[in-house]
Amino acid sequence: MSDSGKLVSLSNLVRDHVRSGQCLFIGGFGHCVPFALAHEILRQKLANLTICRSGTDILFDQMIGAGAVAKVIFGYIGNPGVGLSHAFRRAVKDNRIDVEEWTNFSIILRFHAARMGVPFLPSRVLQIGDIHKASIEVKSIDCPYTGERLSCIPALKPDVALVHAQRADEAGNIQFYGIDGDTIEGALASRKILVTVEEVVTTDELSRSPETVRLPSYRVTALAKVEMGAHPSYVSGMYGRDDDHFRDYDRISRDPDELAQYLDHWVYGVKSRQDYLDRIPQETRSNLLNHYGKD
Amino acid sequence: MGQEYSTDARLAINGAQELSDNETCFVGIGIPSDAALLAKHTHAPDLTLIYESGAISADPESPPLSTGSPSIADSSLMIADGLTVFSDLQAGHIDVGLLSAAQVDQMGNLNSTVIGDYSNPKLRMVGSGGAHDIMCLANRVVVMMPHDPRRFVERVDFITSPGLFPDHRKKLHLGGGPTSLVTDRARFVFENGELMLKSLFPGFDRADAVDGIPWKINDSKSFIETPDVDDRFASVIKDRLSYLEPNANP
Repeated sequence: MSDSGKLVSLSNLVRDHVRSGQCLFIGGFGHCVPFALAHEILRQKLANLTICRSGTDILFDQMIGAGAVAKVIFGYIGNPGVGLSHAFRRAVKDNRIDVEEWTNFSIILRFHAARMGVPFLPSRVLQIGDIHKASIEVKSIDCPYTGERLSCIPALKPDVALVHAQRADEAGNIQFYGIDGDTIEGALASRKILVTVEEVVTTDELSRSPETVRLPSYRVTALAKVEMGAHPSYVSGMYGRDDDHFRDYDRISRDPDELAQYLDHWVYGVKSRQDYLDRIPQETRSNLLNHYGKD
Repeated sequence: MGQEYSTDARLAINGAQELSDNETCFVGIGIPSDAALLAKHTHAPDLTLIYESGAISADPESPPLSTGSPSIADSSLMIADGLTVFSDLQAGHIDVGLLSAAQVDQMGNLNSTVIGDYSNPKLRMVGSGGAHDIMCLANRVVVMMPHDPRRFVERVDFITSPGLFPDHRKKLHLGGGPTSLVTDRARFVFENGELMLKSLFPGFDRADAVDGIPWKINDSKSFIETPDVDDRFASVIKDRLSYLEPNANP
């Protein structure tokens, strides 16, 4: 595929590069969470997915509530600052989901090992307490130099990374700035990287701030332009976080029927990107854009 | 004086008093973040707040819901990534971590994973996040718990974040673990492996401080019945953390 062929539609991005049963890294540590890209995966009815990242938010809960997920690999699973992940909680209760839980640091090390092309990285965490023997078994090693006992954190290489970012060129060089968390780490650990961006610009424009270009074209499989593609999370420099949406989701997701209606409204019933944007109340949208003076 | 403050404000004030100027502090969202901000805007102006999202020297003006929220990103001096800040933690560069949890026991073990049995839980919670890592690796940890007897148990249902473990910590070159615990009624200190009462919040007595805690708590040698509470806390809460005021809408 030539570089210029990497810019595609959102539906083609998913249709051509994501399959049921794959392991997906979901980017976005509270910032640039790829809601639009993951919602397209739900609309295309992909199933039996494994989804992974360190700290999750309500996108994980939505994908679980939609019945698309067979397994979760995480450090934290919840609605940050608001409460529990209710669809996940129900899935655990009914034995409908496989759980592999780590810690945020150890998940990052798993991605870093894969990114570096090594089978594990040594660490000091996960040697005392209950996590390393609950849903996982963490092996240890004696350092051949110092004799210190260290845990062996195994590499995690997802099939596909889903990332949302500010801008890119058509060749797929991705500009990403603001809160990273494990977004770049997880992307570079993965076999394929799929990206949605707010704006597509020229390569010359990107090269004015090369330090903000974080994913190079040769690692990016394909990309699509999706306006406000991280809503209800946010994009630094572009629009703010829809905190009320996260708070409302806590109430909605407690009830499976209400969650089903929510998914119909925000995912399955969405006919186009403009249709999605029109579903955000005008005042809310203005306020979010106003956060960075963009209204 | 104690009546002037809400429960959350007293907990945040007690946490803030555990922090010293010029320290580096790894903070989670919610009450630990409030405590660190209170300290920073009173007695510890050069306290460095580090969030696991990679934000360094953050000073959020409005309460963030997530460690990745805009109010953290917008007010940070530096935005690194998770690998950077957790590596600093593992390498011993972080002085103090602040943690809260659903359950704590007398060994300082914290549980934020499940209530009940792991394989068939009564309540499935959020899991570790960075809590296990902070508890293992920070030089010391301040545990912040609302005074709710259900949260204080003989033995936590699941050890998400390991407490004292003195022999293991030495052998595995881990951080110092929990050194103090604060509630909205009192401050406690771990001395020689035992949790002891250090001071009371004005308006509360010894009986209030230990009410419902299922193990015996002795006074620390350094016990202070009526410590001074910095008046500046009240104005910082009013100006910057108004959601901690008694009648605030959350």
